[in-house]
Amino acid sequence: MLVEAKKDIFSRLIKEATHDELVWMNGFLAGLLDQGTLSAGRAEAGAAVPTTDTASAQIDKLTLLYASETGNAKSVATKFAAATKKKGIKTKLASVEQYKLTDLAKEKYLLLVISTQGDGEPPITAVKFYNAVHDATLKLDKLQYGVLALGDSSYPLFCQAGEDVDKQLELRGATRKVPLQKCDTDYASYADNWLDAALSLLTDSNEHPEAKPVVKVAKTAGGSHKKIYEGTVVTNFNLNDRDSAKQTHHIEIEAEELVYEPGDALGIVPPNPGHVVEEVLALTEIDPDRSVEWRDQKYTVEELLSAKAQLRYLPERVVRKYAEIADQEIPDTRMSLVDLLKIYPLKNNQEDFAQVLQILEPIAPRLYSISSSPEAHGDEIHITVARDQFYVGEKQETGLCSGYLLDVPVETRLQFYIHPNKGFKLPPEDKDVIMIGPGTGVAPFRSFLFERDAAGAQGRNWLFFGDQHISSDFLYQTEIQSFLDTGVLTEFNGAFSRDQQKKVYVQDKMRERGAELFEWLENGAYVYICGAKEPMSFDVEKALTEIIATQKELSFVEAEKYLDALKEEGRLLKDVY
Amino acid sequence: MSNKESHVEKIKKASRGLRGTLLESLADEHTLAIREDDRALVKFHGMYLQDDRDRREERAAKRLDRLWAFMVRLRLPGGKLTAEQWKGLHHVAGTYSTGTIKITTRQTVQLHGILKHHARPTHQEFNRVGLDSIAACGDVNRNVLASAHPDVSPIHEEVYQTAVHLSDFMKPKTRAYYEVFVGNEKVAEKVEEDPLYEDRYLPRKFKIAIAIPPQNDVDVFANDCALIAIVENGKLTGYNVGAGGGMGATHGNPATYPRVASLFGYIDKKDLDKVVYEIATVQRDFGNREDRKLARLKYTIDRMGVDAYKAEVEKRSGVKFQPLKPYEFTQRIDSYGWAQNHHGKWFYTAFIENGRVFDDTDNSRLYKTAFYEIAETGKADFRFTCNQNIVISDVDPADKAEIEQILQKYGVTQFTDSASVIRKNAIACVALNTCALALAESQRYLPTLLEKMDPILQKHHLENEEISIRMTGCPNGCARPYIAEIAFIGTSLGRYNMHIGADALGFRCNKLYKESLDEGQILETVDELFGRFVAEREEKESFGDFAFRKILA
Repeated sequence: MLVEAKKDIFSRLIKEATHDELVWMNGFLAGLLDQGTLSAGRAEAGAAVPTTDTASAQIDKLTLLYASETGNAKSVATKFAAATKKKGIKTKLASVEQYKLTDLAKEKYLLLVISTQGDGEPPITAVKFYNAVHDATLKLDKLQYGVLALGDSSYPLFCQAGEDVDKQLELRGATRKVPLQKCDTDYASYADNWLDAALSLLTDSNEHPEAKPVVKVAKTAGGSHKKIYEGTVVTNFNLNDRDSAKQTHHIEIEAEELVYEPGDALGIVPPNPGHVVEEVLALTEIDPDRSVEWRDQKYTVEELLSAKAQLRYLPERVVRKYAEIADQEIPDTRMSLVDLLKIYPLKNNQEDFAQVLQILEPIAPRLYSISSSPEAHGDEIHITVARDQFYVGEKQETGLCSGYLLDVPVETRLQFYIHPNKGFKLPPEDKDVIMIGPGTGVAPFRSFLFERDAAGAQGRNWLFFGDQHISSDFLYQTEIQSFLDTGVLTEFNGAFSRDQQKKVYVQDKMRERGAELFEWLENGAYVYICGAKEPMSFDVEKALTEIIATQKELSFVEAEKYLDALKEEGRLLKDVY
Repeated sequence: MSNKESHVEKIKKASRGLRGTLLESLADEHTLAIREDDRALVKFHGMYLQDDRDRREERAAKRLDRLWAFMVRLRLPGGKLTAEQWKGLHHVAGTYSTGTIKITTRQTVQLHGILKHHARPTHQEFNRVGLDSIAACGDVNRNVLASAHPDVSPIHEEVYQTAVHLSDFMKPKTRAYYEVFVGNEKVAEKVEEDPLYEDRYLPRKFKIAIAIPPQNDVDVFANDCALIAIVENGKLTGYNVGAGGGMGATHGNPATYPRVASLFGYIDKKDLDKVVYEIATVQRDFGNREDRKLARLKYTIDRMGVDAYKAEVEKRSGVKFQPLKPYEFTQRIDSYGWAQNHHGKWFYTAFIENGRVFDDTDNSRLYKTAFYEIAETGKADFRFTCNQNIVISDVDPADKAEIEQILQKYGVTQFTDSASVIRKNAIACVALNTCALALAESQRYLPTLLEKMDPILQKHHLENEEISIRMTGCPNGCARPYIAEIAFIGTSLGRYNMHIGADALGFRCNKLYKESLDEGQILETVDELFGRFVAEREEKESFGDFAFRKILA
């Protein structure tokens, strides 16, 4: 029914689209048709994707909020704001943490970009906002909105925070004008398309009905559509000295056609330890070679248990489902599958276990800041992995992924993907860079330094590093010394907390050098913070604020504004966890 | 001369009273090392920058810098510590260093493995108990030795006080040590005047020892300035004075050699300061400042001629050397166990293998615990001997049993009594793993070698023969190997040059006998030599004299 020209475009579009894009288009069109937003004429012409050139419908102002963890949501929102401003729409851009919640009821048009953390949680910066929209007394009758959710489909609760907020806004009486778009780590093109759609769907009248709740993303069977690399471990050694309390490994993986940038992270799905798999097989007496279909893919039971399904610390929701299958009373707590099988045995072992397999969730990937530079290291990608230790009751446990990586032998083949971090990128080459990265926080800065060195960047570089002892915990010490010798590093400060009676941290070193640090800031330096969110990144920001207050003779509050301005300019960037 | 001056000479002169960039070096946060030029200066403050050579490879693979640390050596004229000072030392060793207290061959102690950020706390603690490390290394007058055994002579106390006085009198005037390492003084605005050292200090180290005959435990002839106390009618009247002793040599450099001091003559004790001072100034003005390997006083005196050097000292000091007074040395080694002095005080000389005080739990020898417990009683002082042993000193007769009981409890007396004669006469330097100069093992290896020598000695019935064996990891001579009856001087890992033929009392240097022997060859050679010694020795002839007479002849 399409005219030839349109048919050509349509065929070409379909032909060049990925499977995921097709799924998205399908959802998008369905949403549009359901809303009946298409005028008859256009419907006949079959111009399915609405455009924004209908000037009469364009809104004149817009609030763009973002809730960012690593900076990706912020970078998307910032890009959106630039685009909407260009179209002449007055745009108010803010991070949800800085947004006055009482303004929400007065808003007319709102677009929100929100990422999801860990087990379906909102970013720390968005907790207040997240709780506020859950408040049943909030009335948002005037509001038209759309939510763009960022996430990582490798995690079980993909884009959960975005879904929650989208739903809650509707419950508060707001009108969902743009269907929820869930995006995986390759969000860029989806985000752009969504904005185009959003601008055409938000109108200055209320005549259009609401959008369907969700545009389903692009989720192929078994997971994501990001590029999965297969690489070979070529180096794996402990950077800490013998008598250190820490264990931090430098791991080099060789792979072909690597595409990443300094600041990006490497995502990896750790397999379950062999003894755990064997224990599950023994307890359930299930045939390890039995074929099962799990999340649209076929596996043998052993493959599934080894490399796909999470077996340790199952979330409460999975434990509840297990309780149903086992028909037993089980307290609402996280437990490992082995413990469940031992304490609450299944009645019909093999059949019940086939059901249990279906309730298991995928092993969540772990992200590690990449410590190599594409310029300097070519086909190698490096990560810096610290032993992640925690207590379960009395027992000290090592995190699944760090435990796996610390022991992974050279020549092991492993799969990984690149998790881009748009909010943590090097500035132009002539700009100065201040890097604050204690512990494994130094990883991306190793990448930065190698990259700046290889590129011959003219800007100055200043690194603040810290750990327990200079003698045993100075990660990449000789490399850092070489960077100092060659002048790539202009300044270095090391804070080794346990080398003297009074503990000394990076923020103390920053204060010591406050005058020079401020001079760098005034000179346009970019500040990067990487490492533990709590307490490090808070302490570092506080120190920065104090330095600004002292050097510029401002009150603390005024100094905070200076810092906020830095953030707005994209000159204070964080990758904290 | 000036443009050919060695680099160290330039560093000294530019250092503004040995300050250099030491404060900046301590503040450098990217390394445990200090800056290159400061490594020469830090010696004048009693420290060497060393690294753990055992760990180099492993740490390099971890992208960690070498494990740099300071060795700190105390200035301890006459080698005495009070009980309070021992406790301070014990705590510093436990908190900031490897834990082992190393007694040196120059009557003092040194601690290894002090990381840069622990340097100040270490010196502050030393300062609190009245100790310092000023001029313990470097091109200055080093720790002044004095015979360690107070039981030997009634003039011991006077000689000890003389050593303390000479040490202060010859101390550099700069306050840099307190500014930089103790941190209790402001940086001086003007560099201090120093008439003795000026801005160039000495061309090389300068060592003084005072022997009280008949003991030559200080190895007096191995020193740049040798002083032999002369006693007449029970009173110290003056000194026989000599100059030009020194042990260091360099493999493959025939211009270098060990040398024993040449005696100039006798002086009255009232003239001692003037004479010692001018022996140093002649060396300061005439010493070689271009080649540090030829800069010791022994080369200056040979170049000038002994008489010319002596005449220059006389001219400068206005003191004429009188003919030497007679004296006799009968012993160089320490007498172990209890002895009583003229005032009735008791002294216990404990055998400390290689001078290393630590708790050897494997062999139930808890020396460090024992000495700490003794210090806690407050009823004894501690003296160090040039043979790397400890004298628990000045014990009242009433307290002797209590001290004895502690020594027993921790195995000190047992080991002192039972260790073989050859072990008790042996000395080894530190060498690997901390000394940067070491070519071979020394203190870590000598005990093993001696154990393998035991059956050979037994075979020849020599197990009670007093033979001095000394080992060093390089030819620089820290254990005074060139005046040992048998010396093993490291040439490369596991290989040693063997020297024989010095006398037992330290008058004569030995000579190179065989080169680059491995362990098997050493044991073979020793077996053969001991066989000939037993067969051909004259009555009461020492091994050294025998070797000189029969084997080297």
